[in-house]
Amino acid sequence: MHNNPIIEVAGLTKSYGETRVVDDVSFTVERGEVFGLLGSNGAGKTTTVECLQGLRSPDSGSMRICGLDPVRDSRALGALVGSQLQDSALPDRLRVGEALSLFATERAAPIDQVLSDWGLTAQRKTAFGNLSGGQQQKLFVALALMNRPDVVFLDELTQGLDPAARRTVWDLVEDLRAGGTTVVLVTHFMDEAEALCDRVAIMRDGRIVGTGRPDELIAQFGYAMEMSFTPPPELDVAALSQLDGVEQLAQLGSRVEVRGTAELVVHVGAALSTCSTIPSDVRVGQPCLEDVLVPILATTGS
Amino acid sequence: MNSITVLARVTLTELKLVLREPLVIAFVVAFPIVCTLVLGGVFDPDDDAFGAVPSDYYGVAYVAVAIGAVGLTTVPVQVAAYRERGVLRRFRASGMAPWIFPAAMAVVGVILSIASSILVVITATLSYGLIGPSDWATTLLYGAVAIVAFVSFGILVGWLMPNARAAQGVGTLVFFPMFLLGGGGPPPDALSSTMNTVATYLPLTHVMRAIQEPWLALDGGGTNHLLTLLAIGAASTAGWLWLARRTTEL
Repeated sequence: MHNNPIIEVAGLTKSYGETRVVDDVSFTVERGEVFGLLGSNGAGKTTTVECLQGLRSPDSGSMRICGLDPVRDSRALGALVGSQLQDSALPDRLRVGEALSLFATERAAPIDQVLSDWGLTAQRKTAFGNLSGGQQQKLFVALALMNRPDVVFLDELTQGLDPAARRTVWDLVEDLRAGGTTVVLVTHFMDEAEALCDRVAIMRDGRIVGTGRPDELIAQFGYAMEMSFTPPPELDVAALSQLDGVEQLAQLGSRVEVRGTAELVVHVGAALSTCSTIPSDVRVGQPCLEDVLVPILATTGS
Repeated sequence: MNSITVLARVTLTELKLVLREPLVIAFVVAFPIVCTLVLGGVFDPDDDAFGAVPSDYYGVAYVAVAIGAVGLTTVPVQVAAYRERGVLRRFRASGMAPWIFPAAMAVVGVILSIASSILVVITATLSYGLIGPSDWATTLLYGAVAIVAFVSFGILVGWLMPNARAAQGVGTLVFFPMFLLGGGGPPPDALSSTMNTVATYLPLTHVMRAIQEPWLALDGGGTNHLLTLLAIGAASTAGWLWLARRTTEL
């Protein structure tokens, strides 16, 4: 899957007035990969993707999708790229079936099948303005995928969906991966990025601050293992920081929280075993992407 | 899929959507018809302030009002609303050429203008016995140019407005003075010279005169107004085509 980039972005920069919202962003997306752009609101994710979709002109930098320039070759790319936009709408009186027919190309799946796949069969003649938020979102995703694109951009695709619909969309992204479609997933939901993405680029203040597999990012920005317990009275808590594998030690109320590499479990466990009373509330766990990235994304680099 | 197929598809869809807007239909169809019925019966048939029988004068004038209503109150709002709500972003993201939507709106505007004009003519004929055009070919040609020019003018106005509300406000604000001074209100002889001078600078005045003069065999024959409308149409079309191609920040 490597060295076969379908998307190449180098030095992309975009400002609105004096504000630089995308600052020297570079990344590649491999063919067939599910690639996540993750960051808090205002990090520059959507602007980056809008440049790739040909909806905005970058100030500098280069972009290629399927070897084509998104701004100059936007019409040719329209047949190869599917887009679910964060900020768009359809005319209120346009019916669901009409919307699908309007945007269908020669590559499109049959309308009935699309309606069925997305649970919108009953809404075929419903006007867009009368759909619920979740139904509108489903329609947008269906429109992005119906023409069987080579590359699909999904910008905050599960926003407004209930948990069941969210899972359905996740399953669909898995289906896309299985079918070889390249997916660029823009999200601020870290569980979504961790569950769906092969690789993730983390954006903050318009810059990419890290790129890698979710487990690599967890290791890069956080720790592999954490352990917490109520320490026995005779345990020298301060001495735990000297143990192999321990990188962080914190006292949270009556509990001690130890973070570090996987081997800390063995060494801290050994220290606890020397105590006359073994704590009954020992918890051991691996952090998720959200655990390690929230503190990073919550603060601005500037 | 080639551009003509896409244009046809978007045009058909937009036509359906416009026909589902009852207020739009009420304004572009009912307003000119009601005005035709009212003003066509107000004046004495022998009143010589019009240069023609008053009911004929107004019957033809309200064909122009129908064209103005589509061009100034319907088309700009639709174009501005699509930009404001991100519908054009969706079109653009699907690879649709930038000129397709405004061109589709132009076709829809022309169809609406023709339909509304025909209804005004039928109403005036049935109610007041509107005479047929003195010069059919010239009247139809000039009318066609007027429709295309005014719809194109409306698309340009819509593209220049920041949002639908502004387009609606500006369109209405511009439409009514044009309609009242251009010949849809009091007869020109009843207006002050200043008002008549102002009217010569209003695009809708040229639509009215370009149709009235060959239809009612009035002085001038409409040629000067036709040239003005050709200039308005060409400038407007060039303007919105340039804006549509240039605008990437939708």
